[in-house]
Order: sequence, then structure tokens, then C-alpha cells
Amino acid sequence: MSQAFDLLLVGLLIACAIAVIRTKDLLGATIIFSAYSLVMCLIWLHRGAPDVAMTEAAVGAGVTTVLFLVTIGRTVRRER
Amino acid sequence: MKRALTAAFLVLVSLPLLYAMSQLPQHGSATSPAYTHIAPRYLERGPEEAGAENVVTDVILNYRGFDTNGEVTVIFTSLAAVFAVLLAGREGDERSASEPRARTTPEVSPVASFVVRLLSPFVAIFAVYVVMNGHISPGGGFQGGTVFGALLILATVVLGKATAEKLQPARIRGLLQAAAPLTFIAVGVAGLIMFGDYLAFPKAAALAWVRTLWLIVIEIGIGVGGASIISAIFWQMGGDR
Repeated sequence: MSQAFDLLLVGLLIACAIAVIRTKDLLGATIIFSAYSLVMCLIWLHRGAPDVAMTEAAVGAGVTTVLFLVTIGRTVRRER
Repeated sequence: MKRALTAAFLVLVSLPLLYAMSQLPQHGSATSPAYTHIAPRYLERGPEEAGAENVVTDVILNYRGFDTNGEVTVIFTSLAAVFAVLLAGREGDERSASEPRARTTPEVSPVASFVVRLLSPFVAIFAVYVVMNGHISPGGGFQGGTVFGALLILATVVLGKATAEKLQPARIRGLLQAAAPLTFIAVGVAGLIMFGDYLAFPKAAALAWVRTLWLIVIEIGIGVGGASIISAIFWQMGGDR
């Protein structure tokens, strides 16, 4: 059961990673990237590393996303 | 010619590195030192020896304190790099910005504004809790600092930069941003003076409270520094506009 949950999470992670690369809309890509971080956070938590999970949630899903959004706001939204 | 020299140099450098790699224990091998005696010792004696219930804190701040010292310095350096890159083109930018380019601060919805005002104290308390309780439960300076930095970003977006910046008085902002490496070095030098080694923690069982106190001091330093650096990068990138 636990193994199946891990596999599901890793599958989701890979799907998110591929989606980030393929999305041409950078705003969308940023949001998918933050979802990637959340999945990664769940994996850390499930593997028994709550300290890393907290960092991943705060930095990966939170601060990095905000910095990306600021950058998009000051540049362009579409990938060329 | 230059390219060939570069290639030769790279090969020359990579050979000893690759050789060293080949001498490392097999990845995941049960006989590597990490599994035979290092991890068991950390788990068995960490709490009494290093001063924190949370073994992760023991490892990153005490056993591997030197590594973490370098790590917080790297984070501070990243802030310096952001400042160097973004301030380089700022001179001309500032002049053109002083033209009546109307600052289009978008109206923040009253709902978002109210929710952020309502939640801020709780987020702040949570951040302090994560920092101060890092030696007992999961968490610590890095995590709590990031939570507080996120709160500063939220406050900037909703309440404006001026309000958020009041939390970091301009006079001591530089000190706050360098808080993590500075506290680390202060604790390290204190260890050098009192116990004879940089970052040495007292070993006597009676001094367990000193070990815990030092861990908390470092955690607070990392937390303050982390929060200041995150908000400073956000402000420097012009996130308030």
C-alpha cells in the first residue's frame, strides 16, 4: 500500500516535470512547478523527512513561485 | 590553441576527481561507513551529546555545523549576487523611473487584504514556533525563516512595501541580512575561546543546557537572516510594483 502510494507520487512528479517543460504559457508552467514542489513535499514527508518537507513546501511551493511570478510580471508571459 | 588547452586542463582536473569517485563506497551499500557506525551513533547518542531532541538539528547544527556555516554563507552570498546584478543597471533605470511613470499599484481586493491582516499574527507566531522549537520537533531556522519571509512578501503585496519594511529598520537591515553567518561565526568563536575549537560545543553532561542554548541561538540567527534575505530579494526584484 505504502509502496503504491510512493509510486503514485513519483508518477505525478514525473508528469508535473514533463508538463512544466512542455507548457508554453510561463504562468501556467510556474503554477505546475509549484504543484511539482507540493508533490515532492509529500514524497519527503512519506519517506520520513519532515524537516526537508517543510523547507520544500515553504521554499519550493511558496517563495520560488512568488519570485517566478514577479519575474513574469516584469518580463513576458509567453515563451518564445 | 586556447580551446585545446582548456580541454586538456579539464581532462587533467577531472581524472583525479573521477579516481576519487571510484574509491567511494557503492551507493546504497550496507557496508559504507554512513550505515555501519555513523548513523547509528547519531541516532543513539545525538540527543544527549549534541543538545537537541530532533536528530536532524543535531546533525546540521552540531555534528556538521561547519557545513551549515558554509551553507548560510552561501545563502548570504546569493543575496549579494542578486544585489550586484540587479543594482548594476539600476542607475539609469532610476532616472527614467523618476519621470512621471505612474506607479500602477493595483487595487488589492478587500477580501484578500482582510484575510492577510487576519492571518498575519498567526503566521508570525507559527514562524517563531518553528524556529524556537526546531531542536525538539521538525523545523528550525531555515524553515521558520522562510515562513516569516513569505509573511513579509504577503504583507508587501497587500499592505504595501512601506508597511512591510518597518519590520526591518533601515539602520540595521544589513545586519539582519547577515544575521545567519554572523551568529554562526559568533558561536564558533565563542567555542574557540571557551572550549578550544571553532564551533566546539561543551562536552560535559552538566552543560547540556549550553548546547541547547547555542543551538537555539544559531536557529534564531538563521531564521532572522533567512527571512530578511528572502524579503530583500523580493523587494530588490521590484516585487512591490
